[in-house]
Amino acid sequence: MTQLIVTNNKRKKFAYEPNFTEKKEYRPEDVKETGLAFVGHEISEDKTNMNQFLHYDQLYTIRHGLNSPFFIGLLEGKILGTCCPKCGDIWVPVRTHCWNLDCNLEKTEWVEMPLTAKVHTWTIAGWSGRSSLKRLPIILVYAVIGDSKVAIANELHGINPWDVEFGMPLKIVFKPKEDRIGAITDFHFEPAEDWKPTPMNLEKERIKKLVEPVYKWIKTIK
Amino acid sequence: MTRRVCIVGGATTPFDYGSTGFESIEGGAAECIRETKQDIPNFSLRDLDLMIYSHFSVHFGHQLSSEWIIHDHLGLVGLPHYRVENGGNTGGSALYAAALAVMSGHHDVVGIIGWETMDSVSQSQGSEFIAMASDTRYELMVGGIYPIYYAAMANKWMKDNKVTEEDVASIAVKNKNNAMDNPKSQWYRNEHRYITIDDVMNSKLISYPLKKYDCCLMSRGVAFILVCCEEYAKKINPDGYVTIDGMGLSSCTIRAGDRLNYPSWNERYGPGYPEMTEFGACRNSAEQAYKMADIKNPLKEIDFGEIHDAFSTSEAQIYKALGLAGTGNIAQFIRDESTFMHGQIPMNPGGGLIGYGHPVGATGIMSTIECFYQLSGLIPKKHLSKTTEVPNSECGIVNSHAGTGTSISNFILRRH
Repeated sequence: MTQLIVTNNKRKKFAYEPNFTEKKEYRPEDVKETGLAFVGHEISEDKTNMNQFLHYDQLYTIRHGLNSPFFIGLLEGKILGTCCPKCGDIWVPVRTHCWNLDCNLEKTEWVEMPLTAKVHTWTIAGWSGRSSLKRLPIILVYAVIGDSKVAIANELHGINPWDVEFGMPLKIVFKPKEDRIGAITDFHFEPAEDWKPTPMNLEKERIKKLVEPVYKWIKTIK
Repeated sequence: MTRRVCIVGGATTPFDYGSTGFESIEGGAAECIRETKQDIPNFSLRDLDLMIYSHFSVHFGHQLSSEWIIHDHLGLVGLPHYRVENGGNTGGSALYAAALAVMSGHHDVVGIIGWETMDSVSQSQGSEFIAMASDTRYELMVGGIYPIYYAAMANKWMKDNKVTEEDVASIAVKNKNNAMDNPKSQWYRNEHRYITIDDVMNSKLISYPLKKYDCCLMSRGVAFILVCCEEYAKKINPDGYVTIDGMGLSSCTIRAGDRLNYPSWNERYGPGYPEMTEFGACRNSAEQAYKMADIKNPLKEIDFGEIHDAFSTSEAQIYKALGLAGTGNIAQFIRDESTFMHGQIPMNPGGGLIGYGHPVGATGIMSTIECFYQLSGLIPKKHLSKTTEVPNSECGIVNSHAGTGTSISNFILRRH
């Protein structure tokens, strides 16, 4: 963004205006944008307290802008990182400008990352936000992809929750192309092919005991 | 040197999830000020020359700029006002702003109102709203909510520091049991029982190693605190005012995974810190506060603290970041019950977030009020007994904490 770009209609702009030609909708049928609506109320027996129920349903546009190549890369089954041409630091999640103060917000370059990673730390969730409840228990790992200077969070599949380990090697597995939406959920981690879990131990038994009720509870969620 | 900043009074509504009888935010704010005025009868709303509002999420309030409703209701139209928002450190940041206003000499008497109305949505929806303060593009939709991020950080921290699940459970036990002496606390009002380490260990899995009782409570609540110059403090509460002798505010990455090699941390503390396990912004802001308050040995010079125990594990991590213990002795420090009421440095005698509750915008204000009560000798009046009083305390620390450790403030308060 160092120079003004003159667009077709001769107006000076700081960037090309994107022309969005590829569009995909995958909104579930029950998602309706009703905006704000009062949908009910309740009053206490002694008539001193009232609660009112407000429904709010709104479509948001997340404009990825400079970060767009990362999310477009996901659609193509690629993990794109960025690299500072001055200091060489690499990141996924990406930084479009370098974090080293001496690089003075140098614009970074896009690099394709390997589809392998290593667990930095992990947890096993038995509870989560409303949109994730049905996937519980979730193994969430923070893993370092390739030579990235940072760890990225994502789910680890294909393994018993109690078998996850610090430092274990991972591969990145993408959803089938037709199911991808250009979001972080387009991929997850799985153990690398040659990885084998270590035998059961006290901590693994403890985790197994904590996780068992979660499996039962999830079956009862509508 | 800039002007001294004092605290002369403050109060909260009861904290709860659901009905408290203080439901409207402006009504709750008015009740907090009315209680404060009972403690310092000479205080008049006319004395205020700035109001700072401490509120985190408009998602919970279904109301933008809700501070305008409160300010108007309090009869303060014409007085300058603005809102401070800084995640879980909103309260601490509002206090920081108020202190700066007084220090500068531009304002003499500053009121802070903090609040959150988290019971306006279900707990799982509430968790998701809070998680919208994580990087939603990368973390929210992969099952990420704050307890899960904290669990991932704590899991490695506990291994690195040889701290066990039982060790951190003892912190949850301490805070919930302290709350049993505090009638405004959510734990006292709801589950209302003394618990043991076994109760924590047997509570349901939230995210390993965190169980339900290791976690703070989602709350509705309002708090008010009065910050002022020393001249006013001497006039309004000559025998009970407290001074803010040190303060610090620092920052860290929004995504916990981004702090493994962060250049500015490497410069300050060397490579490998804060890792994904330590709270660099807590250490950094504590160092600023200690320097300002001339504290060389926090464990010896600070009598107690009200700190941000969003999780039992984070309270343990905060002990370390405050310099109370190191990698070699943090486990023993916890096992010695150093932060229990009978310990060397009681932490969260008011119950903390785990016992009192965590209505985000009100939380840091609540912690400061509890610290003020201790130093001002008000605990026997405000709590149910003297069991949660730190006798003859002279110096307390207040800690307010946001994100995954993304913004953290520390304050050193002293009896004048």
